[in-house]
Order: sequence, then structure tokens, then C-alpha cells
Amino acid sequence: MIRRVLVLLTVFLFALIFCRLIGGYSELQELRPLALHYVMQGPAELGAPNIVTGILITYRGFDTLGEVAVLFMVAASVGVLLKNESTAGADAVDDDSDPRREAGEIVRTGKQVLLPMILTFGAYVIVNGHLSAGGGFQGGAIVASGGMMMMLARPGAALNVALLGVIESLAGVIYVWIGILGLVLAGGFLDARFLPRGEFGAFFSAGAIPLISALLGIKVGAELSVIIDRFRS
Amino acid sequence: MTELIGSVFILTGAVFLFSAGLGLVRMPDAYTRIQAGTKASTLGNMLVLIGLAFYHPDWTFRLILVIAFVLVTNPVSSHALARAAWLNRTPMAPSTVADALAEANERRAGESES
Repeated sequence: MIRRVLVLLTVFLFALIFCRLIGGYSELQELRPLALHYVMQGPAELGAPNIVTGILITYRGFDTLGEVAVLFMVAASVGVLLKNESTAGADAVDDDSDPRREAGEIVRTGKQVLLPMILTFGAYVIVNGHLSAGGGFQGGAIVASGGMMMMLARPGAALNVALLGVIESLAGVIYVWIGILGLVLAGGFLDARFLPRGEFGAFFSAGAIPLISALLGIKVGAELSVIIDRFRS
Repeated sequence: MTELIGSVFILTGAVFLFSAGLGLVRMPDAYTRIQAGTKASTLGNMLVLIGLAFYHPDWTFRLILVIAFVLVTNPVSSHALARAAWLNRTPMAPSTVADALAEANERRAGESES
């Protein structure tokens, strides 16, 4: 009885809190000064129609570098955590039937149809990051989902983790080098304006933003593929 | 007029998507839930996208691409899920009458013996 009263009281308190939150909410009628600056000056300064990618890669470039570093640490720690697990639990798996069971025919055929589509779409999202919705992170995640499909369809095949690690590190190093080039040739670290701005809305435009976006896509795709592979083995 | 037709398509699709959600809650075991979620949501998605094509005729080609993608991915993923569940010996509902995969495996085993 007392428990029920307590539950009711908790629900009532939550309802009160949320009601106050909803009642106090009013939509902003105009942009804040910083957002206004980004929206008005961003496309003109950077030459990128997609303001979000422009902000993420140039104004917030250092932040994005930190996010990539976080992802790298996640990949490393997942590897460490799962390694202990797999060596301890290896005996328990063996007595059951083979864990690396062959994939079904539908999945194998579906992979042949879907993999080119997924990878093409991922590459499209990556290289069009400065023009339309998308960018390195999103495209990299799509590419990694293609990699996951490949692993599902061929459970026995091994992923070349060492090569992916080299590719990923190279992309990261080039990313930082582009940032330093921005420091030397343009306004600051990760300033994308040291390459010509080009025509607004064209494929080759917006300075180094497409380049950084592609590097991010490669890095994120390789990292996520490695993480998925770690969970498999 | 075209907007009305598009709205009818989207509403029908929403009804199917709702039935997919209802099936996930109400169905008795994993296999029927997978089936309800896949079939109803595939049709619901397609109807919503067709309705969108009535609203934005210039998106038609992209929407067709999306529909093709949904038509391929949804059955493949649900097949993989259901097969993994069967191989893990996930229990079936008591009212299940047929297990085609087990029968096929038995038949294949019988053929290889004889």
C-alpha cells in the first residue's frame, strides 16, 4: 500500500516538473547573436551551402577533432575489454555447435545486391557533405554498416584490421596536417580557406571542407568497422 | 486533388505502421513478432513514400530508390533475425503448427543417408 502511494507520488511529482517545463517553454522568435552570425556570414565566408557541415568542420573543427579522438579511444577500449572476455570464455563456446555458422542464402544474395548500393550511398553522403545534409561522420557510419553486412554474409572471412588501422591513422594524421596548413596559410588551426573557395554550390568548392569531410568519413568508417569486427571475434 | 490522394496514401501507410507496432506488442513469440514488424512496416513505409511522391512529384525518382532499398533490406534483415532465432532454438508459441525449416532439414538429412 505504502509502495503504491510512493509510486503515485513520484509520478505526480514528475508530471508537475514536466508541466512546468512545458509551460515555461516558448519558441525563440529570432536567432541568438552567435547563430545569426553563423547563418549570415557562414556561407559567405566558407562557401559551403550546408551550414551545419561548415560549422562542424571549420568553426568547430577542434571540437570535431576531439570527437574523432573519442571514437578512437572507444575503438581501443572495446578491443581491450573484449579481448579478456574472449580468452576467458573460449572453452565455453567450443562444446556447442560451431559459432561461425554459414550465413543463409538470402543473406548472401542480399549482400551482393545491397553492398554496392550501401557503399555508393556512403561515398555520396561523404563527398556531398558541404552541399547537402551529410558529412564525414554520417557517411562513415553508412560505410561501416556496409562492412557489417559483409561480415554477416561471410562469417568466416577475416577483416584486415591491421590495414584498416593504418588507413585510419593516416587519415587522422593528414587531418591534423590540414589543420596545421590552415594555421600557416589561413586564419587559424583547421581553417579551411587556404584552398580556393570556388563557385558556390559546385562539387569542388568551399576550400578544404570536402577534403576534411572525406578524411573524416574514411576514419570513422574504418574505426566503426574495426569496432564491429571486435564484437564478432 | 493530388494532395488528397497523397494524404490518403500516407494515412493508410500510417495505419499499417500502427498495426506493425501493435503486432510487436501483441504477438505471442519472436517469429510472429518479426513477421508482423516486417510485413506491415514494409507496406506501411511504401505507402507513406508513395503518398510523399504525390506531394512532391520532383522527388519521385529518389522515392522509388528508397522504396527499392526498403523492399530489399527489410526481408533480408528479418530473414537473418528469424534464422538466427531458429538456430538458437528460440521457443515457438504453443499454437505453432508447422516448422518448415526443420522439415526441410530432416528431408535433406534423409536424402543424404539414402
